[in-house]
Parts: sequence; structure tokens; C-alpha cells
Amino acid sequence: MDRRQIAMKLVVEALGIEFNISTFNDRLILHKAIYLAQAGGVDLGYHYRWYLRGPYSPTLTRDAYAVDLELVGGGEDDSKGWVLHDTWREKLNGLSSLLAADTKADRADRAELLASVHFLVATKQIAEREPGKIRDRLEEFGKDFAEEEVASALRGLKEHDLLC
Amino acid sequence: MTSSAEKPFGGGIIVDAVHGDIHLKPRELDVLDTASFQRLRHIKQLGMGQVTYPNATHTRFAHSIGVLGIMARVLDVASDRLGLDDRQEENLRLAALLHDIGQYPYSHMMEGMRATRLTEEEFGESPSSERTAGPEEPEFPDHESLGHLIVTHQEDLIKALGGLERAEEIARIFTRQDTASLQISKLIHSSLDMDRLDYLLRDSQACGVPYGQVDINYILNNLKASPGGMVGITSKALPAAEHVLLARYYMHRTVYYHKTTFGMEEACRHLLRRIRGREEYGIPRHGGEVSEIVKGAGLLTFTDAMVDRAVREAAHDSDQVVAALAGAILNRRPPKLLKEVCILAQRGEAHHEGKGFRTDCKHRLGGLAKQFGIPLGQFIFCQTRPLRLEQRGGHMTADEARDMPSEQEDELIKVFKDGEEEPTSMVDVPNTWLEVLGAYFFQAFRLYVVCDGEEQAGKVADMREDVKSWDKV
Repeated sequence: MDRRQIAMKLVVEALGIEFNISTFNDRLILHKAIYLAQAGGVDLGYHYRWYLRGPYSPTLTRDAYAVDLELVGGGEDDSKGWVLHDTWREKLNGLSSLLAADTKADRADRAELLASVHFLVATKQIAEREPGKIRDRLEEFGKDFAEEEVASALRGLKEHDLLC
Repeated sequence: MTSSAEKPFGGGIIVDAVHGDIHLKPRELDVLDTASFQRLRHIKQLGMGQVTYPNATHTRFAHSIGVLGIMARVLDVASDRLGLDDRQEENLRLAALLHDIGQYPYSHMMEGMRATRLTEEEFGESPSSERTAGPEEPEFPDHESLGHLIVTHQEDLIKALGGLERAEEIARIFTRQDTASLQISKLIHSSLDMDRLDYLLRDSQACGVPYGQVDINYILNNLKASPGGMVGITSKALPAAEHVLLARYYMHRTVYYHKTTFGMEEACRHLLRRIRGREEYGIPRHGGEVSEIVKGAGLLTFTDAMVDRAVREAAHDSDQVVAALAGAILNRRPPKLLKEVCILAQRGEAHHEGKGFRTDCKHRLGGLAKQFGIPLGQFIFCQTRPLRLEQRGGHMTADEARDMPSEQEDELIKVFKDGEEEPTSMVDVPNTWLEVLGAYFFQAFRLYVVCDGEEQAGKVADMREDVKSWDKV
């Protein structure tokens, strides 16, 4: 694993998520979790694009795949012996509760909503005060979130200092 | 190039060695003439590729114009069907032109420095202070992020693009962050990768190797847009599309992963990592510094010359490893390959010789360095990225890709099967190489040594003998 891959794996784990890309939901959660971590100031340098399921980073996909190849079948874990800086750890502790959900599917939905809402606001495409417009934009991309869900996501993001 | 004043349509024509005449509109010429865009003339497309292929000195500037040329041809086919207005069309052309504006000096060579672990960090006997991942040194941002910063902060580009609002609009398109138009989003994601089509042809031509010579005319002449807004190829162009995937694979194996180029670039990354942040060399220490450079006047010096100057001066550094690495790059004495392990495997094949080789390096490289009296920092272990036939579907098998509404599947080449109005992903087309070989990856694991002088070079044969068996799983 290279330096960024190690940091990425540690960040995911600090969010209380096991590093795993076996299923689509696993990959989706990984992408959105790293997105939100970066939004919270844990900057790993990944560039996120917009796809049908919200923000997504092809570079992160390549890194995640490379890490998975090293770990599959009990391969050596290079991240052992590395730790996250306390400042990052504290930031991530707060974030993990934001991503909490009862099932993996729920967590994937929640992560997708939070990351998508943040992306639309942070890239100045829709103002934070317009949850209805955010809902409409997400609907264009096939998402069926209610306006209240969007508003709730906005509140959650603000409470965790992810939006000013 | 012909000046805009001489053309009846007010634009200009650039004669491109790969695509022939490329027509530029007035605003595109304005962008081209900015100092910020001209910087791309000073960034080689293939990084250090010219140490292996002497003619591979072509630049990001030429490549950017080539991608605009391809975008123009795609729009000729798709624009009406997708209902794009003039402004959207102009934005897409400008986005194509600007897609690489954020490239680092020596392109991906310097960008990849963020991932580099020095040999003593990775294989040394005692843990170093680098074992904490944290905020003191933010990673170098991906070049797309730098591109966004450049287009929205450099006054010359903002003016050429018609103001900050327009600049942000265009930056969102080439960084693929635009959500305002589903049609544009679909076009960007579903069209054949224009960047890829250009770099395969251009790199192949410049290097003098045939592997990237894809049949671009046949592909573009067989493009089609669906009522639903997807762009794809007709089924008769399927062999040409498969050839693109194979071309990419073989260009990686022969050019991008060439042992000499790869070794030189790794040596340079190790050097830059060692000297970054030292005032006399001017190499930014972390991502925060890079972002500041590209937002200000420093952008114009953020070129290959920044690295060249640092290498020249570092050759006289008092640190033995720094001087050895810099001398090797400066005088083209490529790192000597001690051993290479290549694998072609599927994800499920957990244990392979590459992993065994890496584990052996971890346990034995320190001893080898002592035995031959060469500093550990002059040894470089590296591995290529896993290379698959289609990177964008790269994390899933064909079966998975079929079952899932995956983001990455959006980017796979779309094919119009006979009689169908909407295209399907290439993985859905039976009897293609992608379907059969999609789950395989190629990866090379390499151990090099940078020799400082005749005496060290004289030990290479013995070192090769010693590491010969370092790949037992």
C-alpha cells in the first residue's frame, strides 16, 4: 500500500466502517464516507465527480481496489503500525455518528443522501436554503428523497460542521 | 496556426499531427493565448517517457487541443439529438480544451509523489516518524482539483472565458461535477473517453510504437445518440471499441510501465519527496502549498522546468542518497532493475509471486543494502497499478457490472445492439474480450538500485544473483 492508501484505510476504519469493497453498497459507503471525511477536513486529496449516485472518485476506486488486492486472502496489511493523527481521529469520531444506521442498506442510503446534499451545496450549484430544489435535482438523477429528508440531512451536516 | 482575423468564421485552425485540421472558435483562441494555458506547452505528456523514447516530448498543450478536436466530432453527431443549445455546446468544447489545465510538472510523475513511501520508511528496521497519517502535510490534490482552482482563480482565464460565473460552469464540466444538466452529464459519462482516444494515438505516434493506433475514424463515424440521451457506438464498431481496450492495455505494458521510464520516474519521486519543502529547491512540501502556487503567479513556474532545476541542483547535495538519485536522473543513468515479477491473475488468486517478492524485500532488503554497502534509500521497490482491460469497470467482474446500477458502468463504452433504441454497456454484449477477460489484472513488482559511480554499478550482477529467489509465496 502506498501512503495515501494507508491513510484512506485508516480513515474508513476510524469511521467505524470495515474496509470492504465486496458489494455495491460496500463500495458506495466507502466512497461517501471518504467524501464526508474530506469535507470535514481530513484531506486525502481525492477529487470527486458527480455520478448518478452522487459524488464519486475514480482515483479512490483505483486505490480501494489496489488495497483490496493486497488484503484478499489474508495478505499483509501495510497499515499496521500506522496511526491517524489525533486531530483527524477527533474529527472522524464526530462523523461516525452521522453515518450510523441499523443495516448496511440504510447506511448506504444515508451516506448517499448526506454526500449528495453536501456536494450540491459545496460546489455552489444549489443554495443550502433551498432543500426543495436539492430534492428536485436529486430526483432528476433518479433519487426519491423527500424534502424533509433533505432538510434533515442539511441539519446533520451543519451540526457536524460540514457546512458553514 | 492561422490567426483569428484571417478566418471568415472568426476563429482559427490548428494543424494537428494526429487529427489534421482542428477548427477553433474565437473564445477558444482567447483561452489558448492565455499564459495560464500556454503553461501546458512546458509539461510533457509522458513525463519522463523521453528517456526511453526520444521523440516522446509532446506536451499537454497538443493533447488538450486534440481532445477538443474529438469533442467537436462527437458534438457533430450528438448535439441535436441531445438538444444542446449553443452555450452548452460551447461549454463542452471549452471543457475539453481545459480538461488537463491542472496537470502537475511531468504530469502524473509529480502528481504520484503523494503516494511515495521512501524505502527506509517501508523496509527500514525501525519505524520512522512518517508512521502517523495526519493533517500537517495535506496530500497533493488530484490534478482535476487543481484544474478547478486554476480556472476559477487565474484572471487571464476568467477573462477569456467571459467571467467567473462562466469559468465555474466550465470548471464543473471538465471536473465532472456538473449536475445542472442531465444531458451533459450523460454525454460526458457515456461517450467514448475522448481523453483516452487522443492519448493512445498521440503517445503511440510520438513513441514510434504501433500499439495505440486505434481506429478513431471508424469509431467516431459509428457514434450514435439515443432518444434517452446516451451516446454509444453501433454494434459494427464493436471490434474497433475492443481494440481501444486492448490498445490501452498494450500501451501500458510497453510504454507507460516501461522498466526504464518507470524506474526513472520512481527515482524522481523519491528524490522530490526527500527535498520537498527545502527552500533552495522550490518543491512544494504539501498539498496546501501546491494549491497556493496554482492560484497565484507561481502557476507559470509550475512546469517541468521546476523539477529540472531541482534535479540539477540536488546533484550537488551533501546528502549521499539525494545526490545519487539526482545524478542518475540528470545524467540518464537509469536505476538498475535487480528483479521484476510480473503477474496476470484474477482477484480471487490471493497469493502470488508478486506478494512473495514484496514480503521478501520487506525482510531482506535491509540486509542486502548492508552487505553491498549501498544506502537503503538508493534501493527502490515499486509496483505498477493493477492493469485491467477496462479500468472503469475495474473493480467488478462482468457479472457484477451487469447486476448493479454502478457509477462506473455509466462510463463503460455503450453499444447499440441491432434494432434497439437505447445502448447497453459493453459488458452486456456477449462474446467480447471484456466479458471473458474483464476480471483479470496485470501487475509488475520491481526492485531497482540507483548506482552512484562505477564501484556500485559493478555490484549489480551479484545483487541480481542474491535476489533471484525472492519471490517464494
